[in-house]
Amino acid sequence: MELLKISNLYKTFKKHKVSAVDGASFSIFKGEVLGLVGESGCGKTTLAKLILRLIDADKGSIFYKDKDLLKISHSDMRKTRKSLQIIFQDPYASLDPRMRIGEVIEEVYDIHKDVTGREKKNKAIELLETVGLGETYLQRLSSELSGGERQRVGIARALATDPEFIICDEPVSSLDISIQAQILNLLIDLQKRKNLTYLFISHDLGVIGSICDRVIVMQSGKFVESGSCETIFRNPKHEYTKSLLESALLS
Amino acid sequence: MLLQIKNLKVGYGNIEVVRGVDLNIDKGECVGLIGESGCGKTTVGLSITKLIPERRGITSGEILFEDRDILKLNPEELRNIRSKKISYVFQEPFSSLNPVFTIYEQIKESLEEKDNSDSQIAEILKSVGLEKIIGRKNVYPHELSGGMQQRAMIGMAVASKPSLVVLDEPTTALDVTIQRQILELIMELKNKMNLSILFISHDLRIVFSIADKIGIMYAGKIVEYGLKEKIISNPGHPYTMGLMDSIPSFEHRKKLFNAIGGKAPLFSDLPIGCKFYPRCKFRIDKCLEKEPELENVSSGHVSRCIRIKDMHYGVIKNK
Repeated sequence: MELLKISNLYKTFKKHKVSAVDGASFSIFKGEVLGLVGESGCGKTTLAKLILRLIDADKGSIFYKDKDLLKISHSDMRKTRKSLQIIFQDPYASLDPRMRIGEVIEEVYDIHKDVTGREKKNKAIELLETVGLGETYLQRLSSELSGGERQRVGIARALATDPEFIICDEPVSSLDISIQAQILNLLIDLQKRKNLTYLFISHDLGVIGSICDRVIVMQSGKFVESGSCETIFRNPKHEYTKSLLESALLS
Repeated sequence: MLLQIKNLKVGYGNIEVVRGVDLNIDKGECVGLIGESGCGKTTVGLSITKLIPERRGITSGEILFEDRDILKLNPEELRNIRSKKISYVFQEPFSSLNPVFTIYEQIKESLEEKDNSDSQIAEILKSVGLEKIIGRKNVYPHELSGGMQQRAMIGMAVASKPSLVVLDEPTTALDVTIQRQILELIMELKNKMNLSILFISHDLRIVFSIADKIGIMYAGKIVEYGLKEKIISNPGHPYTMGLMDSIPSFEHRKKLFNAIGGKAPLFSDLPIGCKFYPRCKFRIDKCLEKEPELENVSSGHVSRCIRIKDMHYGVIKNK
């Protein structure tokens, strides 16, 4: 089943005259992990932000179920975002340094207003346990946490609204390799358990290859190749994909 | 032997973060030092030219560079070694470069006065693949991409024709394709100038691709050391195995990683016995008795694990 269908999406940053997303069309199916790979500045994150309407697209359409996300009102979009979440790359920059971890997660419910009062705290504890932390973290500040622990908080926050689709924007790029493996394990496990759908953004083909079902290769705003992980890794067609695979030190 | 580090210990206040490290680097050799954040690998790199502030202090050990103990040199002698004989390239090129000076000025500064002519600078820019900047004296660091900034840093590091370069996570902040280019540049310069390299990184894939010998550090000590080929084919420490199992790849598809659980211990609260004990899959009670010494796995390959003999090619007879 198609969960998201994106057609002819364009975004140009006028001031710099950069076509960050130049006619993107693709579908994401329920329960799959779709990889998006490309160098810094090729438009991966812009595409992620466009899908969640964190920035406005120039033209195109994004169908989530029957709704075109680009046409619905802001308040409808806000409600829809409950099902569409994001985990950011930098766990240092994406947590408010002045908020306790409990507050970070409970804030989600203040915005979406579906859980109130004491229930919020119980939910927060439950989420922290899901991501391998626990109640003891409620009162901690993000500065007291390691990179891996912060990323777990980021994941808990994304899970708070029980989404069906999560964009993982380079979630392990800033982590040490052993911690990277722990976080990837957690993401794989959650995906299977909750039948989540991921758009997994990374510049590391090793990470993409280990977790994704399908891959899209992006270069300066355009899709240059897409297909199943097997096809892309075993039999890349496009020169750019080949050069990425060569650089990835996969041996 | 170009550089010999003997029983180096460094303390930050009362807390010892390098707890006795031995490391040798030969002329023209590239030694990789691998470890997680906070294991003390950067501190080892900085100690080599005594760049650790006094109050943090190197508490004991010897660092023999060309047969002289660096720790005993006076400031004048140290200045003649720093950046002339031993230079550094750090992780974040943008924070290493001075934002208010041009690239030209900064390379000029790293050259000795007698040969800091424009043609010399052009020569260096060319050798690190920055032909585009030759003749453009008003280019500042912020006008360059991360990869080009790192090239400029490498240019400054090799400008004085050093014999040893310490590369501390030089490619971590860069994209894979740029990473590859920078590694190729480093290898090219190493061969051309017969450089010795200490390559510090947490990424095994990179170190495996570039180093001749590898040391794996955990909680302030080297837990395994040897020729790259030997470590890859027959890792001799459970920590090394765990790191190798954590490398993401297409072959590992959709399987859970055999990841190392938990996190590295705090230096203020190190476990007794083997420091890897709390996270080790192969631990036995005997591991708690004392911290193991480095023992031979094979010739030129040592490991700090009492279960070496039970381990063969990455497999252990469990308990």
